[in-house]
Amino acid sequence: MNTAPENFVQSLQESGLGGDWEWKNGSWWRTPEAMDVRATATRMIALQARFVAITAVELPDKEIHLDYQWDLNGQLLSLATATKAQRIPTIADLSPAADWAERETREYFAVEFTGRESTQPLMTRAGDPIGINLRKEVVK
Amino acid sequence: MSYRIPIGPYHPALEEPYKLELICDGETVRDAVMNVGFNFRGIEYLAERRNYLQGITLVERVCGICSNVHSLSYCMAVEQLTGAEPPERALYIRVVLSELERLHSHLLWSGVAAKLIGFKTVFMACFTLREKIMDALSAISGNRVNYGMNCIGGVNRDIADPQAVLNILDELERDIQHIILPIFLKDRSVESRCKGVGILTKEQAMAMGAVGPLARASGISQDIRKAAPYCAYDRMEFNVPVETSGDVRARLVVHALEMVESCHILHQALRTLPEGPIHAKTPSGARFKVPAGTAICRAEAPRGEVLYQITSNGTDIPARVRVRTPTFMNMATVRFTVLGQQLADSPLIQASCDPCYSCTDR
Repeated sequence: MNTAPENFVQSLQESGLGGDWEWKNGSWWRTPEAMDVRATATRMIALQARFVAITAVELPDKEIHLDYQWDLNGQLLSLATATKAQRIPTIADLSPAADWAERETREYFAVEFTGRESTQPLMTRAGDPIGINLRKEVVK
Repeated sequence: MSYRIPIGPYHPALEEPYKLELICDGETVRDAVMNVGFNFRGIEYLAERRNYLQGITLVERVCGICSNVHSLSYCMAVEQLTGAEPPERALYIRVVLSELERLHSHLLWSGVAAKLIGFKTVFMACFTLREKIMDALSAISGNRVNYGMNCIGGVNRDIADPQAVLNILDELERDIQHIILPIFLKDRSVESRCKGVGILTKEQAMAMGAVGPLARASGISQDIRKAAPYCAYDRMEFNVPVETSGDVRARLVVHALEMVESCHILHQALRTLPEGPIHAKTPSGARFKVPAGTAICRAEAPRGEVLYQITSNGTDIPARVRVRTPTFMNMATVRFTVLGQQLADSPLIQASCDPCYSCTDR
């Protein structure tokens, strides 16, 4: 298992990525907060970080937890936020790599990414219901 | 006047289903629109409705080529949550399986690339070499496609005769050096067919989040085996081939040199295979529960970085299994690489990013 590099949190803070960071099982996790996802994405791109993924998780109170994952010099950073309204600003215009991730997250968790010109389905076809992973039972 | 050429989703020239619409001006490609999802199986949805042990079998079927890396990443993420520590021998066996998988995947890609270049003799040679790897995988695991090797806390089967695999490897390494490398690195016909074709710049690769050999052919040096070592990769000595021209030829060179490095890793792992057990003891069946929490695991699949994020709510069924495959990031780069290129080159350009639609669609 790779180990936490020394002074990495300090370098994150100096890079404008504030908040509480925790090193856990080989990745850096920032405590969930009301994150300005666009400002954070702009900062990550300026740092030459590579967009990795958006991971959505449904919480028990119907809130959707979103982890934005970036790779910064080989370190995986997970920046968490959450939405109850299931609406969050897009970052696809800032980072084209996030385009497919946002389209997929909409299909799986019915999260609308606002500010996109259009959100074409990725895995499903036009007109198919969204929120596949929110279904509680297998549809027969 | 521009015209649209729809290709796919089911087409005699394509082995896997996807749809590409090329907007052409004469013979020049001006834009491309891509549609995927024809292989969508809802693997993430299904993984959240099966217990952790059933999940291993499920995720191994994300892909028919790099099946091992999926079960490996899944198991490593669960091991982070449970604290199960695979024994040393298991870590080395995981490296062996991963590199054999990389070799047969790269040989498959090389064969497909050779066929599209118009060099069918090399296609036959690549697939003949690939059979040697398939034989080795079959001898170790009993299977040619889904190996069923990984379990939570280690591996299911031992490598009883490392020397037998080394013998196959010696033969393979010799053939790669004598057949593949001279053609992919030095042949003038291959060079003239591929040089300057389908360029993906470093800036484009970064913007699109490209990974693996595709990114390394565009000057991005990252390899997860080096950047964030897992299994026993921190004990292996190997180079990460990087090219900067970003064209199809650079992708050929990176794939060819990566095969050589895989052989080096396999020699080291098989010659220094530690003695001892192959898996840690874990509860079986419904008694297997995972403490609440979230874990992420990354691994370097043949096509690049794979990411698994698993969230546990403390039961025997995961609350969330996230699977981010390399082609999911790489496929969208085709839109850049075909722009301004000849229509006749587009099959080779599309294939040169080593796409796997099964992985992409999950």
